[in-house]
Amino acid sequence: MKRSFKDDFNMMAMLLIPIAVAVNLVGFQLANVLRLPIFLDTIGTILVGVIAGPWVALLAGLITNLINAIFNPVYLPYALTSMAIGVGAGLLSKYGFFKKIPKTIVSGIIITFIAVIVSAPITVLVFGGATGNTSSLITATFLASGQQLWSAVFSSTFITEIADKVVSVLIVYFIVQKMSDRYLSKMNYGYLYMKRNNKK
Amino acid sequence: MKQNFLLQLHPLTKFYFSLFILVAVLIIPGYIFSFAVFPILVLIAILAGVTKEFLSIVLKALLSVLVIVFIMQMFFYPGDDVLWKAGIFSITQEGLDYGLLLTSRILAIGAVFILFFRMTEVRDFVKSLEDKGLPPMGAYVVLSTLQIIPEMRRQANTIMEAQKTRGVETEGSLFVRAKAFIPTLTPLILSSIASTEERAITLESRAFSAPVKKTSLHQLTKNSADRILPIVYVVILAGLLVWRFFL
Repeated sequence: MKRSFKDDFNMMAMLLIPIAVAVNLVGFQLANVLRLPIFLDTIGTILVGVIAGPWVALLAGLITNLINAIFNPVYLPYALTSMAIGVGAGLLSKYGFFKKIPKTIVSGIIITFIAVIVSAPITVLVFGGATGNTSSLITATFLASGQQLWSAVFSSTFITEIADKVVSVLIVYFIVQKMSDRYLSKMNYGYLYMKRNNKK
Repeated sequence: MKQNFLLQLHPLTKFYFSLFILVAVLIIPGYIFSFAVFPILVLIAILAGVTKEFLSIVLKALLSVLVIVFIMQMFFYPGDDVLWKAGIFSITQEGLDYGLLLTSRILAIGAVFILFFRMTEVRDFVKSLEDKGLPPMGAYVVLSTLQIIPEMRRQANTIMEAQKTRGVETEGSLFVRAKAFIPTLTPLILSSIASTEERAITLESRAFSAPVKKTSLHQLTKNSADRILPIVYVVILAGLLVWRFFL
């Protein structure tokens, strides 16, 4: 099926964006309330990527960070990370990576790499290596043990991101499984996950 | 009631001011200018009457980042000019300088954007972008996001209370707490996306995606300061660039 860039932005997809942004923020807050050691702040972006495609997810990631930046400008440079995660999730979904659990975990690992590759340079170039979240402590430990700045930031980002992203994609997988065919049929990439379609 | 002059400026005038500070901070070398920006911003905040909110958000959002960035650079930035040493830790002059430079820039740029959003309603800012050519759909998405967030937080709390009532544990070991996450988030997302269909119908019934020019109840006006200030910014920036690279 071939579709143009503009078709991705239909009314239903655009209305999904506010929900996705709110899910990102509320997911992060819930993880805080439950005192979980991971952020879970990209569930909404990944969800949009899976059912509405990479470009809508790019927009959802951008808006998430813009709205976060209203209260904390530190989030602003990381808009690039959110956008990259959205595009990555969308492309993986297009090639059927979210249909079964093993492939979902693989896509979680791929998304982790995307997140690390995009966010580590931002951390180094904009903030000199640390922004004050949990990974700063790990970065400092690596640096104290004699590692170079870039490799220390890359490894500490990877350690904090891997669990976060794999759990996030699994949550997205279970949520998409629970969505009704009626709703999925209205989303651009929803046909991939419709139960009736998959029986053939 | 006479409104504050600064608050009455056009949103884009204030936004250009933030961009102006951002570029100026990056052009001018050294940390003295960037640190000097902050008192100026505080002064603007006092004149605009938003001092309290401005300072409290700066403290909450930036203070911890600044401290950690500074400490990291002080201890780990490579340099030869050692000022102080204890065991494996040493403070170098280069690290101190780079730490001050980085923190001063983060402080100036972060604070100017915090100030911008304290002085501008998001609604006005989005409207000004719409006047500049942002599609109405984009404006709707941003504004409805801001409305949905508090609504969804309330709903998340309700769902969590309900799940506690039926026996989902939210206290205890990490695994127990993690297990509470899914039964809270899944109903939240599924019920929220169910509501998008109603939104779509409501919007369509008001001809939202009809290809015509929309009228708006909310209008922004520009006064003479809004026409002069952007030109002033550009002139100063051009002067700075010339000073930095040609003199």
